[in-house]
Amino acid sequence: MSKFIEKPRYLCALGGAMAAVTALPGTVPVLHAASGCAGNITWAQNGGSGLQVGGYCGGLSVPSSNVQEREVVFGGSERLREQIRNTLEVIAGELYFVLTGCVTEVIGDDVRAVVSEFQDEGIDIIFAETGGFNGNSYHGYDLVLQSLFRNYVRRGVEKIKGRVNLWGIAPFMDVFWRGNLAGLRLLLGKLGLEVNTFFTAGDTLEGIKQAAGAELNIIVSDVYGLEAAKVCEEVHGIPYVVVPPPIGPAATDDFLRRVGAALSLDILLVEDLIEQENKLYYHYLETLIDCYNDLDLQRYAVVVGDANYTVSVAKFLSDDLGWLPELVVCTDQLGEEQKPQLSHRLSSLKSGLQPELVFETDTSEILGHFNRYWPRNRSQKYYNAFSPAFVVGSSLDRELAQSLGAAHLSVSFPVANRAVLDRGYTGYSGGLHLIEDLFSAIVAGR
Amino acid sequence: MRRGKVKDALWLSTALNETDVISGGEVKLEEAIREVDRRYRPSSIIVAAGCVPGIIGDDIDGVAARLQPQVSAKILPVHCEGFKTKIWATAYDAVYHAIGRNLLDEPREYDQILQDEFEELKEKHILSRTVNLMNVSSMGRVDELELSRLLRSLGLEVNIFPVFAHPEEMYKVTRAAVSISTCPTHDDYFLKHLEEKYGIPYIIRHMPIGIDNTSLWIRDVAAFFGLEEQAEKLISEEVRELHTALAEFKPLFKGKKVFVSAGEIRALANGQLLRELGFEVAGIRSFHHDEYAEVDYEKLAAGNRDFVFNIANAQPFEEVNMLKRTKPDLFLGHWCGNATASKLGIATHVIYNTGLSYIGYQGVYELARRLYRQLKNPLFNKRLSRYVPLPYTDQWYDADPFKYIKIMGGEGVE
Repeated sequence: MSKFIEKPRYLCALGGAMAAVTALPGTVPVLHAASGCAGNITWAQNGGSGLQVGGYCGGLSVPSSNVQEREVVFGGSERLREQIRNTLEVIAGELYFVLTGCVTEVIGDDVRAVVSEFQDEGIDIIFAETGGFNGNSYHGYDLVLQSLFRNYVRRGVEKIKGRVNLWGIAPFMDVFWRGNLAGLRLLLGKLGLEVNTFFTAGDTLEGIKQAAGAELNIIVSDVYGLEAAKVCEEVHGIPYVVVPPPIGPAATDDFLRRVGAALSLDILLVEDLIEQENKLYYHYLETLIDCYNDLDLQRYAVVVGDANYTVSVAKFLSDDLGWLPELVVCTDQLGEEQKPQLSHRLSSLKSGLQPELVFETDTSEILGHFNRYWPRNRSQKYYNAFSPAFVVGSSLDRELAQSLGAAHLSVSFPVANRAVLDRGYTGYSGGLHLIEDLFSAIVAGR
Repeated sequence: MRRGKVKDALWLSTALNETDVISGGEVKLEEAIREVDRRYRPSSIIVAAGCVPGIIGDDIDGVAARLQPQVSAKILPVHCEGFKTKIWATAYDAVYHAIGRNLLDEPREYDQILQDEFEELKEKHILSRTVNLMNVSSMGRVDELELSRLLRSLGLEVNIFPVFAHPEEMYKVTRAAVSISTCPTHDDYFLKHLEEKYGIPYIIRHMPIGIDNTSLWIRDVAAFFGLEEQAEKLISEEVRELHTALAEFKPLFKGKKVFVSAGEIRALANGQLLRELGFEVAGIRSFHHDEYAEVDYEKLAAGNRDFVFNIANAQPFEEVNMLKRTKPDLFLGHWCGNATASKLGIATHVIYNTGLSYIGYQGVYELARRLYRQLKNPLFNKRLSRYVPLPYTDQWYDADPFKYIKIMGGEGVE
C-alpha cells in the first residue's frame, strides 16, 4: 500500500496524457471519463504550468464522453461511440486520441473495440488507457508515447543514418518543455542529426509516423518515458540511451559525447562542436565576472523538484556555476528500483561535492530534512551558517526559502509564479538562461 | 493571497493506485486522517470523495465515524463524485451538508461567576442586528469588504460565512438575526437548514452584481430590520456618486454588443450590469438552471431587445457557433473560458477572479474600469485571431448550435 501525498506536484495519469496529446501536432484528445476530469486538469495547468494552458484543442475545449451514473451502471461504450462520431463532425484533427479515465477503466468499457470500428472506417484514431489510478502525470505521458509506438508509428520503416528520436521531457509537466526540447533539437542538428521530438512546433505527425526510421532513441530522463523506450525497442528495434536532461556546459559536453558514441559519430566533429559552444557560452559569461565577484553571488543551495530537474539543476549548480548544492529533494513517487540511478548521478559530480539526496513527496516535511542535515546554531558565537542560500524548486517551495532566508526560483512543476513561453534550460544556452533567472532573483530588489 | 500574504493551501491526496482500487481505499484514508491530525493539528479535516471511492464503495462516512473519537480535528466527509452529476453547483450543497452536520455546535459555556447584565444586554443587542453574509468561493476579500461596508452603513453587524470563516467560529452563524445570500444557487440548501434548525430567517433573491441588483439586495436586508428610510438615503447617495463616476466610460460602451457565459445567477446578474453600463446584451450562457434564477430572467426580459440564451456547461463548441452568429464586441467568460472568444478576436474579460472587484457599487465601477481598458486596446486578441486557429470544422459553423442537445425522458443531456 502506498502512502498519501501532501500537495501533489503532478496530476494523475490522465492529466499527463491529456497534456501530452494536446501538445502533439494537429491532434485532438477525446476523453472517455467522468464529468469534471478535463476541467480539473485544465485548472491545475492554469495554476502550475507557467501560465500555459490549452493549445489547438486543449483546456475546456477538449471533447469528453462525460460519463454519468447511468454509464457507470450500464457501461459507457455507446456514449464513447457517440462522442467520437460527434467529435469527428465538429472538430477538425489529423489524429484523434482517446484517453480513458478512472471511471471508464473501473467499469471495464471495451475502448479498443470502439476505437477499432472507427479505424476500420479509415480514421486516424488511437487510444491509451490512462485511468488516474495507474500512476501520475509522468506515467500518463509515458503511456501516450507507448501508444504512439504501438499504434501509430509505421512499422518496418527503413533505418536512416543520422535520424534520432528524443523524449523524456513531459509537455506542461516540465513547464519549460518547448524550450527544452527545441534547444536539444537545435543542438543535435549542429551534429547533422535529424531529430524528432514529437511535441515542438518543428515536429509533424508525418515525422512521428516515420519515427521508426531512427537509428537511436535518446531519453533525456532517468525516469520519464523509459517504458516507451522499451516498447519502441521491442516493436521497432530501435536501441536507446538514457541521459538526464543536460543543463549548461558540463552536462551538455557529456551529453554530446554520449550521443556521439552511441551513433559512432566522428569524434572530431563532436569535440569541435563542444569547443565552439563552450567558447560561445563563456563569451557571454565573461561580462558577468565582475558582478559575480563584487556581489558575492556564490550560494549554498537546496534543490527541490521532479527527477529530471533535481539531478540536472544540482549538477549545473555544482559543476558549472560553482555553487554548493547541499540538499537535493526529489518529490516524485518513485519505486525503490528507480532511486539508485538518481543517487548515482549525484555521487559523480565533477566538483567532488556529495549532496544529500532525499526522496520526499510531502512539501511540509522538507524543512525537517534540512534541519536534520545542516547543524543548527546552538547560540554559538562563530556559526557556519547555511548562508547565503538559494532554493531552486517549485512555487510550493517559497515557504521553505522564506524559512531559510534564501532566494527562490521556481523551475519544477508547479510553476505558478512565472510566465514561461519558449524559455528553455537545456544545452549551453539553457545554462545561460538559468544563470539569468537565478541571478535576477538575487538582485531583484537592487 | 487573501490578506496580502501568500500562503499555500494545505491539501493531500490518498493517491489511490490499482491495488487500492481492487482492495479498497478505506485503510489508506484512515491512515491519512490519523497522520494529518498528528502532523498538522488542523481544527477540521475535509474528506472529499472522488469517482473511484464512489464506485468501489469506500464508506467514507463510516471511516469518519470510526475515527472521530481518536482524532482531535472534526472530520467532514463530502460526497462529490464526478460522475454523480453534471451540475457543479451540486458540490456547494455537499459542502454545506458536511458543515451543517459537523461544525455548528456551540462551544460549551461555563457558568460565569460574576454576571454582567450590561454586557449580556449588549451582546443580545448586537446579535439582534447581526447579518450572516453568505459569501461564495468565487468572490474575493475585496467584494466582502464592499458588502460589509454597505451593511455597516445601515448600522448592522456582519458575520461572513462560510468561505474563510474559521471552523471554530462557524457556530456564530446560528446566532444571527437573519441570513442574506449573495448567490441564490449557492445557498438555498444551507439557508433552509439554518431556518429549520435554528429559526434564522433568510433572504435569497438577488445577487448584488449591478446597480439595481445591489440596491434591491440592500432594500431586502433593510426591510427586515425596518430600516427602509435609511436604506433609501444610502442607495440614492451611492447611486448618484456611482453614476457620476461612470460617466467617463459610458461613451465607449454605448451600443457595443456583449456576450456573457458563467454560472447561472452570475451570468444573468452580469447581463443586467452590462446593460446598465450601456452595452447591448447579445447572448447569455448559464451553466445550469434552477428556480431561483427566474426572477433574474424576468429582469432581463424587461429589456426590449432579443438575445440568445443557452444553458450548458461551458461547451466551447456551441459557444463558438453562437459567437460567429452574434458577433459581439465583448465576451465575459469563466476561468479558462475566454480562449475561444479570444481566438475569434473578440475583446474578453474574466467574469470572476477572486482577487478582483465585481460586487456592489464598487464592483460596478471597477468592472467598468477594466472593460474600458480592454476595449481601449483589444489588439492582443485581434492579433491572435489572425494567426491562432480554432479547431472546429467549417461545416460546424453552419450547423445548428444546439444540434447535440438531446432530450431523454425529460432529462436534458448534452
